[in-house]
Amino acid sequence: MTSPAIPAPVTGEPLAWPSGSDTTSPEPRRGPQHWLKVAGWRHLVGLLALVFALFPIVFVLSGSLNPTGSLTSPDALFSVFSGQNYLDLFSDPRYPFADWFRNSMIIGFTTAAGSVFIGACAAYAFSRSRFRGRRAGLLGLILLQMFPQVLAYVAIFLLLMTLTEVFPAIGLDQQLGLIMIYLGGALGTNTYLMYGFFNTIPKEIDESAKIDGASDARIFFTMILRLSLPILIVISLLSFIGTLNDFMIASIVLTTPERQTLAIGLYQYVNVSFSQNWGVFSAGAILSALPVVIIFWFLQRYIVSGLTSGAVKG
Amino acid sequence: MNTSHATTWGRGFLLKLCLMALVDALGVYAVILAWSRQSWVIAAFLVISLIAANVVYFSRRMTPAKYLLPGLFFLAVYQIFVIAYTGYAAFTNYGDGHNSTKDDAIAAIEANSFQRVPDSAGYPLTVLEKGSDLAFLVTEPDGSAALAAADEPLAPAPEATFTGSKATGLEGYTTLALGDLLQRQSEILALQAPLGEDPSDGVLRTPDGSTAYAYLPVLVYDEAADNFTDTSNGDVYRPSEDGRFVDDSGQALEQGWRVFIGAKNFTSVLTEPSLRGPFWSVLIWTFVFAISSVALSYFLGLALAIVLNHPSVRGRKIYRSLLILPYAFPAFLSVLVWQGIFNPQFGFMNTQVLGGADIQWLTDPWLARLCVIVVNVWMTFPYMFLISTGAIQSLSSDVMEAASIDGAGWFQIFRLIKLPLLLVSTAPLLISSFAMNFNNFNSIYMLTEGGPLKHPTDQAGSTDILISFVYRLAFSGVNKQYGLACAISMMIFVIVATISALSFRRTGSLEEMN
Amino acid sequence: MRTRPTLTALAVLAAGALTLTGCGGSSDTTDPVTDASTPAAESTGSLTIWADVTRYQPVVDAAADFTAATGVEVEVVQRDYSKMQNDFISQAPTGNGPDIIIGGNDWTGKLVQNGVIAPIELGDNAGDYVDVAIEAVSYDGQVYGLPYAVENVGLFRNPALADSTPGTLDELIAKGQQLVDEGKAKYPFMVQQDPTGGDPYHLYPIQSSFGATIFATAADGTVDSSKVAMGGENGARFATYLADLGARGIITPNITADVAKQAFINGEVPYVISGPWNIEDFKAAIPDVAVDTIPSAGGEPSVALASVQAFFVSSYSNNQLAANQFLVNYVGTEDVQLALYEAGQRPPALKAAAESSTITGDPIMKGLAAVGATATPQPNVPAMSAVWTYWGPTQVAIESGTGGDPATVWQEGCDAIDAEIASAS
Repeated sequence: MTSPAIPAPVTGEPLAWPSGSDTTSPEPRRGPQHWLKVAGWRHLVGLLALVFALFPIVFVLSGSLNPTGSLTSPDALFSVFSGQNYLDLFSDPRYPFADWFRNSMIIGFTTAAGSVFIGACAAYAFSRSRFRGRRAGLLGLILLQMFPQVLAYVAIFLLLMTLTEVFPAIGLDQQLGLIMIYLGGALGTNTYLMYGFFNTIPKEIDESAKIDGASDARIFFTMILRLSLPILIVISLLSFIGTLNDFMIASIVLTTPERQTLAIGLYQYVNVSFSQNWGVFSAGAILSALPVVIIFWFLQRYIVSGLTSGAVKG
Repeated sequence: MNTSHATTWGRGFLLKLCLMALVDALGVYAVILAWSRQSWVIAAFLVISLIAANVVYFSRRMTPAKYLLPGLFFLAVYQIFVIAYTGYAAFTNYGDGHNSTKDDAIAAIEANSFQRVPDSAGYPLTVLEKGSDLAFLVTEPDGSAALAAADEPLAPAPEATFTGSKATGLEGYTTLALGDLLQRQSEILALQAPLGEDPSDGVLRTPDGSTAYAYLPVLVYDEAADNFTDTSNGDVYRPSEDGRFVDDSGQALEQGWRVFIGAKNFTSVLTEPSLRGPFWSVLIWTFVFAISSVALSYFLGLALAIVLNHPSVRGRKIYRSLLILPYAFPAFLSVLVWQGIFNPQFGFMNTQVLGGADIQWLTDPWLARLCVIVVNVWMTFPYMFLISTGAIQSLSSDVMEAASIDGAGWFQIFRLIKLPLLLVSTAPLLISSFAMNFNNFNSIYMLTEGGPLKHPTDQAGSTDILISFVYRLAFSGVNKQYGLACAISMMIFVIVATISALSFRRTGSLEEMN
Repeated sequence: MRTRPTLTALAVLAAGALTLTGCGGSSDTTDPVTDASTPAAESTGSLTIWADVTRYQPVVDAAADFTAATGVEVEVVQRDYSKMQNDFISQAPTGNGPDIIIGGNDWTGKLVQNGVIAPIELGDNAGDYVDVAIEAVSYDGQVYGLPYAVENVGLFRNPALADSTPGTLDELIAKGQQLVDEGKAKYPFMVQQDPTGGDPYHLYPIQSSFGATIFATAADGTVDSSKVAMGGENGARFATYLADLGARGIITPNITADVAKQAFINGEVPYVISGPWNIEDFKAAIPDVAVDTIPSAGGEPSVALASVQAFFVSSYSNNQLAANQFLVNYVGTEDVQLALYEAGQRPPALKAAAESSTITGDPIMKGLAAVGATATPQPNVPAMSAVWTYWGPTQVAIESGTGGDPATVWQEGCDAIDAEIASAS
């Protein structure tokens, strides 16, 4: 039931919101007062948010530069500058950090691509087709995600063990096996997000394409997916980060150090009884967060661009 | 029109054909593999999936199924299986002391019950083979050789040949080399050669193939009667309904096995007195925690997305990239750092920000609750920020333009138009995010472990949410009770799914958008 | 939406053709695989060992020699220590577990209870190991592990701040306080704790000096694990003492492992109770760091908990014979125990190795061994799970002064543990 206070969603062209679009050229410079009014306060809010977001991370950064550092003592913040921890990351054969990094990237990208594809397909079906059980299905997918996973490790191990006996390539200690498990979670809230976005793409577009003789698949792959690029990128980023940070499932599946991911590997630095190596751990955490920042940096323009409008008009 | 039609269909169809051929080839290969390994369930599942795939993709109808099938396949294999397995375990007594099958339990009890014959020596041993039967050639403490086998009690073997002082060979027998020992190690380990005609003399066994020792089994299993007898006092242990061997006085052997116990796990949750006491206060806090976490992180994320989504803000790319850092960082590291920050004696908060204040951040019940929410918001707002940044792109410009032409202010546009629109498109996320936080075991557990406890023997701490509280009940005692924990998982799942389904219905968020 | 029937037929044919080639190829490749893998599963001469990151490399090195001597392949798998016990319990019955795991002696009871480890026959060599090590891995009259290292805490002293350790803890604290008053140190004495779980392991030398031992031990050495012996009058005296130290800010839940270690390294505290895991970092900062026995607080000798690292053999292993050979005849030798010591800096459990000059010539090891000589093994009975649940939080409550009278709080904690143990049997 949509409450009356909420206006009905609009079906227009999914143009980027003009005043908010990054592609709009910056406004001509005016007086400082105007700057304060338009951008100044935004900077203030942004800076406050940055302080909140980065303040614990500063500790990690400081710890990563201090070979004997701890995470608690604040007066020691940036008292030592040394790259030793970063060098250590790549020199201890017990902790093959470079392997972990590469594995995480491979698993992360593959999972992101796979789950966006699977999710987008499902979202397209939910958005464009009318079939029995559609709403129940959509609801069911989201509800399934709510299952408390705390105990799942026993079941996942059993499943993978059984699979190992038949298909060793997707079984225990195989990265492909891990990716498949992640793909199992591809249908869910992400599907819903895409479903919502697809719904904002007017049906008239598909219909006119259909009249021109385009097939369903063609419409989906060449038009819908292009038009919904921002959300696809957001989802793949979310999926990438989620994969990168997963510890529970990854640590069940991957046991050989050279095959493990950053999340499992890094955890081992601090999970040694009583002799945690905070410095190296912090350095590793900083390096492992970098790809996300860099990727987001480059993908931003696709997320906030007016690409959609161009495609619709064409 | 006709020609163009043919080409598009043709190319698309060929592509589909190739893909399906590939899928079928792989699938049939997999079925054969599963069949050859006697994994009937896997084989059957694959056959059904393959048939479904072929029917769906070569049918002219079932368009939605064409798009849903890949996801459903993975969903069925990985997610549904986990839920089904948890549901199955919920009806068993799986846990410490009930870890495997009855056969395994019997084997373990037998293996553990061999006691060395008091003051007996170790016998240097050579394992011999005659035909396919194994025999133990031992050197007695007096230096003489003796032979024993499964049905031959230990008897002198004067013809044995020696290497040094150890008997190593016997006419008519082959001496097993190390490689042979390893080949037949299960047989060798299982071999019990009697020391004399009387069973109470004990048996010779070897743990490593090079030394044998004299043992007496304390507990003897009688296969026909399905019970264990304690040879020291004649006590008989019989299998009980809860999967253990129990004697008449109620004493049970330590190793039990997994059995179905019906709905007992579910009823024991409902009747557990230690659960009922704090249940309501824990439930209320669970809702407060979940709702406030979602609401705060959503509004923070949304507000930042809108504020930074303006062309006049230079460096917004930097802002955005840095703002997602809390989400990109390993959560357990961030939580450890937050714990350090909140340390009352040494933490940054008290010593630096508040100039030496003595505020018990994580040990005062209310402050601890506040801290848990703050840290949780810190960890999740970038997610909301990302999603909002994406969702804003779908807002139609027409309405905004119309509104601003009408002279509506920035805030009015936001409150009356943007927010409602965004809420409609993100409401399901908020609901599932609520469900996530409802079960957010890790956030709570890593920061406070559910504490502070008002009293160290309390069952529930001030920040305990339902799931951390009940898992503690299942795991904190002498024995871990997985079965019980699984039952609790199922029950919480039902609660959360019901609440969520009702909310979906109420918000109408699954209604048609167009 | 019109496909021509012929095309559909063609498609099915094409798919069928590919399918046929697919299965033709597959049958060729699968058969040898199955043939080869079936006997391999039964198996001969290959061992899989789970070890955590600190033991991984030493075990790999030691295993290489064993393989060279016997031809038995040894694969060492690095596992996360905190998950190893649970993973092993749930995975061993599937037949996919390792043949050997390396873990703490406190796991023994749980592993036996779940039927996943087999007894080890040390034969007549049991006397070759230090007593505490054998006691630590014995359960219900059987030895279940091959001990290789004995870890216990000791009193680490910074000689630049304090030249000696007084005879009682009160004197030690007074001496530390004097250093603080003189401005030479920042804190008199530290024991690492934790805001939620406390740290009963590090506090145990203090607790035991009041006679408040975890379980009662009968004259014949058997431990009565049906109820704890920490309560009563001894426990009350300890609780009162701890509450006092807590109120004075000397032992507080806020002094985490991290804080204590950093303060000692920075030269801010003359004495800390710590263990072999910090030797490397301490030595780097204070090359002449000393280890002394922990002075008594309650009048009776202070006894540390010894945690013994041991090799356990899986009862589900198909290679138990090889595993026993590896452990008893190989890991249990002086050379290997010393090699493990060199790599991991944990005092060996084999007497011959523990008494060798490598160990006795190292003052720090000597100091730890002096504490270890009177140490009592960490109890390995399943009932310890219930003890850990309440033990730490009760100490936290007493240190931070919440919950009222310390003696009452302590006794309630003990009663709660007893109730858990009673409900489980």
